[in-house]
Amino acid sequence: MHRIFHWILRHPKIILLLLLVTTGVAVSQMRHIHIETDVDAMLPKHSDAYINKKVLDERFGSSDVVIIGIINEKEGIYTPENLALVQELTDWLGEQDLFQTLSLNDLLSLSTIKDIRGTDDGLDVTLFMDGLPETIAEAKQVQARMHAFGIYENVIASADGKGTIIAVRPMPDSRDQYAKIYDLLQSKVKELEASHSNDSFFISGRPIIEGVFGVYMPQEMKRMQPIIMTLLVLLLYISFRTPRGVFLPLAAVLIAEIWTLGTMAAFGFNIYTITTMLPILIMAIGIADAVHFLSRERLLAHYGKYSHQKERIIEVMHELWKPMVMTSVTTGVGFLSMLSSELPPIQEFGIFAAVGITYALIVTMLLFPAALMLLPEKAAHTARKPLFSGYIEWSSQAILNYPKRIMLIFALLTTISVIGIMRLGVDASLVAQFKPNDPVRHADTVLNEYFSGTTSLDIMIDTGKENGLLEPVFLQHIVDLQKEIEKDPVVGDTSSISEFLMLMNKALHANNPAYNRVPESSDLAAQYLLLYSFSGAPDDFETFMTGDYRQAHIRINMKTDSTHAVAMMLKNLKIKTDVWFPSSAGYQVEWAGTGFTLHRLAQMIIAGQITSLALSILAIFLLCWWMFKRLLIAFIAMIPVSLAVTVNYGTMGNVGIPLDLATALTGAMVLGIGVDFAIHYLHRYHEESIADHSYAESVVNTNRSVGHAILFNTIVVVGGFLVLLSAALYPQMKLGALIAATMTVCYVATVYLFPVLLGLGQKNIKV
Amino acid sequence: MIKQILLIWAVLSWMQPAYSKDMTGLDVMKLVVARDDGNDLIQHMKQRLIDKRGHVRERLMISFSKDYGEDSKSITYFLQPANVRDTAMLTWDYADDNHDDDQWLYLPALKKVRRISSSDRGDYFMGTDFTFEDIKSTPTLGDYQWTLTGSETIRGTDVWVVDAEPKSKALKKNMGYSKVRYYVRKDIQMYIKVDFWDIKGKELKHLVSTDIQKVQGIWTAMQGVMSNVQTHHRTELTFSEQQYNTDLSNRMFSERMLKRGYHGQ
Repeated sequence: MHRIFHWILRHPKIILLLLLVTTGVAVSQMRHIHIETDVDAMLPKHSDAYINKKVLDERFGSSDVVIIGIINEKEGIYTPENLALVQELTDWLGEQDLFQTLSLNDLLSLSTIKDIRGTDDGLDVTLFMDGLPETIAEAKQVQARMHAFGIYENVIASADGKGTIIAVRPMPDSRDQYAKIYDLLQSKVKELEASHSNDSFFISGRPIIEGVFGVYMPQEMKRMQPIIMTLLVLLLYISFRTPRGVFLPLAAVLIAEIWTLGTMAAFGFNIYTITTMLPILIMAIGIADAVHFLSRERLLAHYGKYSHQKERIIEVMHELWKPMVMTSVTTGVGFLSMLSSELPPIQEFGIFAAVGITYALIVTMLLFPAALMLLPEKAAHTARKPLFSGYIEWSSQAILNYPKRIMLIFALLTTISVIGIMRLGVDASLVAQFKPNDPVRHADTVLNEYFSGTTSLDIMIDTGKENGLLEPVFLQHIVDLQKEIEKDPVVGDTSSISEFLMLMNKALHANNPAYNRVPESSDLAAQYLLLYSFSGAPDDFETFMTGDYRQAHIRINMKTDSTHAVAMMLKNLKIKTDVWFPSSAGYQVEWAGTGFTLHRLAQMIIAGQITSLALSILAIFLLCWWMFKRLLIAFIAMIPVSLAVTVNYGTMGNVGIPLDLATALTGAMVLGIGVDFAIHYLHRYHEESIADHSYAESVVNTNRSVGHAILFNTIVVVGGFLVLLSAALYPQMKLGALIAATMTVCYVATVYLFPVLLGLGQKNIKV
Repeated sequence: MIKQILLIWAVLSWMQPAYSKDMTGLDVMKLVVARDDGNDLIQHMKQRLIDKRGHVRERLMISFSKDYGEDSKSITYFLQPANVRDTAMLTWDYADDNHDDDQWLYLPALKKVRRISSSDRGDYFMGTDFTFEDIKSTPTLGDYQWTLTGSETIRGTDVWVVDAEPKSKALKKNMGYSKVRYYVRKDIQMYIKVDFWDIKGKELKHLVSTDIQKVQGIWTAMQGVMSNVQTHHRTELTFSEQQYNTDLSNRMFSERMLKRGYHGQ
């Protein structure tokens, strides 16, 4: 090690050049950064939800549609003007290159959907709006037909006639265009709003939500960077009050951040919503190394122990490399425990948080010695009293005077938190990631209020044989299943081929309601579909069944994407589908769609939590045991972080913050960052103990030296994460607040509870 | 001077057609329409619908058709698959655009004849990649602007390349095409390839006719493949056992025959 340090100090210019070049390379890589907004891509590739979604898209067409709602509270939608507006907007959508508009199911609106009616001598398949209605009476006629037809009621137009939607599919594999689609629609809507003052327009649907994520994410990173940097400059200035004291640490964490993002880009890792928090994390944690280095160097310079600058820097490096590596390792282990999650975004967040921290350590160890060698040495500032000295002295007295009260407070906090943990829930909802006043969330809420729902949930049933779905028994069971599903209040509508066959059966029996049932034979069903193919388009039903009549698709529209709702529904329906579509008879039932993807995501968030936490607690415990060589101390070292983690999840339960992709990270984060406090504290306390100081002396001394560092560290981390309160995405904001609160608890537990625990027992615990 | 120029101009403009041996696109298409395709026809037809994953749906039919001047009538019986066997379709096709075609379908499972509502020309026919416009034996010449754009060689035969653009926006929307390109064999005045572009101007479909044989003196394409390059769906039609000019009786094309079904000949 010594030789490396010497080499660094002998070649400061080479080191700086090296840092500059590597950073340049990293910057050049950053243009390859890919932002991933696909929710399905957040699942592991072997997950059934991921696989089924691909099968669904391929077999029945994508259920990811853009939804544009038009609502007119005053006159309703069934007026000649409003129907003309629907026609105009539909035609316009059909002309846009961003959308696929090959078949009926690609572009559904009042002007494309078809009415199936029985006539005296046959079947009539016509558009509901065959030509634009010219009078109110004609427009109301469309409404009457929609109501009589039933299938599209609340799906395409609300039953009260106040609103209608247009659903359109983006071009296949055009996810990178989703943001553009949103922009395009917004400007179109703005244009229409100007000429239709009574109509309100709402845009939603999964492509829109994902598109907006794609817009928000880079924006968020760009916006938060200067805020966190300003904060660091401020804190560093308060601590060091010299330009180098401000700009060297800042440069170190910036370089570490750039290296991390560059590495991600170079190796083709994606940026997910949670990755946008990585820069803040690296800066808030990485700055600690820089601050430790600088303050130690200044302390030594102040006491004038090493007259020669080079020797002094060597001494600093020698003193610090071990604790710095140790704390980096424990923090890194905390983050790497995220690897036990099955979800790529969480795994990659863990990896690159660890990578970023390692980079920060390396950069600090290279940049500081090299830069300090090159910068002219300045006379040490006159000693000034540390900023929080009064508080530190007060805290020492509090610890020594009121150990029982401190224990009581923590016991209380723990009890409340444990109660909270039992109420902890999980929700991977996409829409809930937007703040309640966000336009996208608002639009989604309104659309769910008026119509059958913007979240798709899909059931695919393989009958195991060609023409299998034409069997009357099967068709009837689909109807039964739909009825069962529609009992759930979060379900707005379900649709299937059975509905259309029932309708045709009725239409071909002179609209006799008695025939509103599934065709009585497989042949009859086949012949109805053949008959339909002469009047309708061949792909009208492509979304409900495959061409060989083997696989059926039931589409469910849900009014919420809350994963709790899906979990409940799946549990109830499993019983029914097992009876109606038994695998022993060759049936295979698969779930898919956004609702199902989010459900699986939620399950994996929970599953990952428990293993990830258990693993990191165990790993950090073993590390501490190895470091301090005593089992008891290792146990004690784990107390503040365990407590902080408990408080973290307890608070979430008590306040009602569910686990989601972002807040799921808090546990491992708190562990990784918080354990550093304990290690620093115990190190110092250990030294005080071997110096044969009394318990009280050790507490006061430890508090004086390490107490300061931990306090600064806490302020930086808390401040850094409070920046997330300004985030546009809800989970990020919640995570920021949680980490800030929990790190405060961790700080208090380390500085107050630790000494109290160490003071327990007759002879006090020696470290 | 001016008089002389006017005279030369007048002579030249009068002489133009006489000097030009070039045919126009419309001329080519008139030859196509005029081609002899028999008065009546019995043939077997196999439909293979192939989706983008390669799944095939197959149907077997026998059809009888007869010209009535510009109009025509046809009756088609489904032989396979089993679940639509004996389903039969009767069509009375009118050349007059203001007269909607009449279509009836007999459903054996329902034991009833049902009338089929008339379709737009751009509507797809029986789940195939052919629209009602495409299955007409020849396009309605008056609906398109025809342009002869040149000559090419396809599979060893010389063809005229004729571009057709529907004359109005309404016609484009109705037919679903912004442009169609016919490749017409010069020797037998039959088109052997057709390209289609959708309303957005994007490449949509290709029709390729192959295995062209002379049956009873009439040039007949035994196979036609329509491929949709956007949906990657494909329809293969194979024709066989053609019998031209057997003097089919008018009674063939009645509701009674529709119900009676096909029992072989």
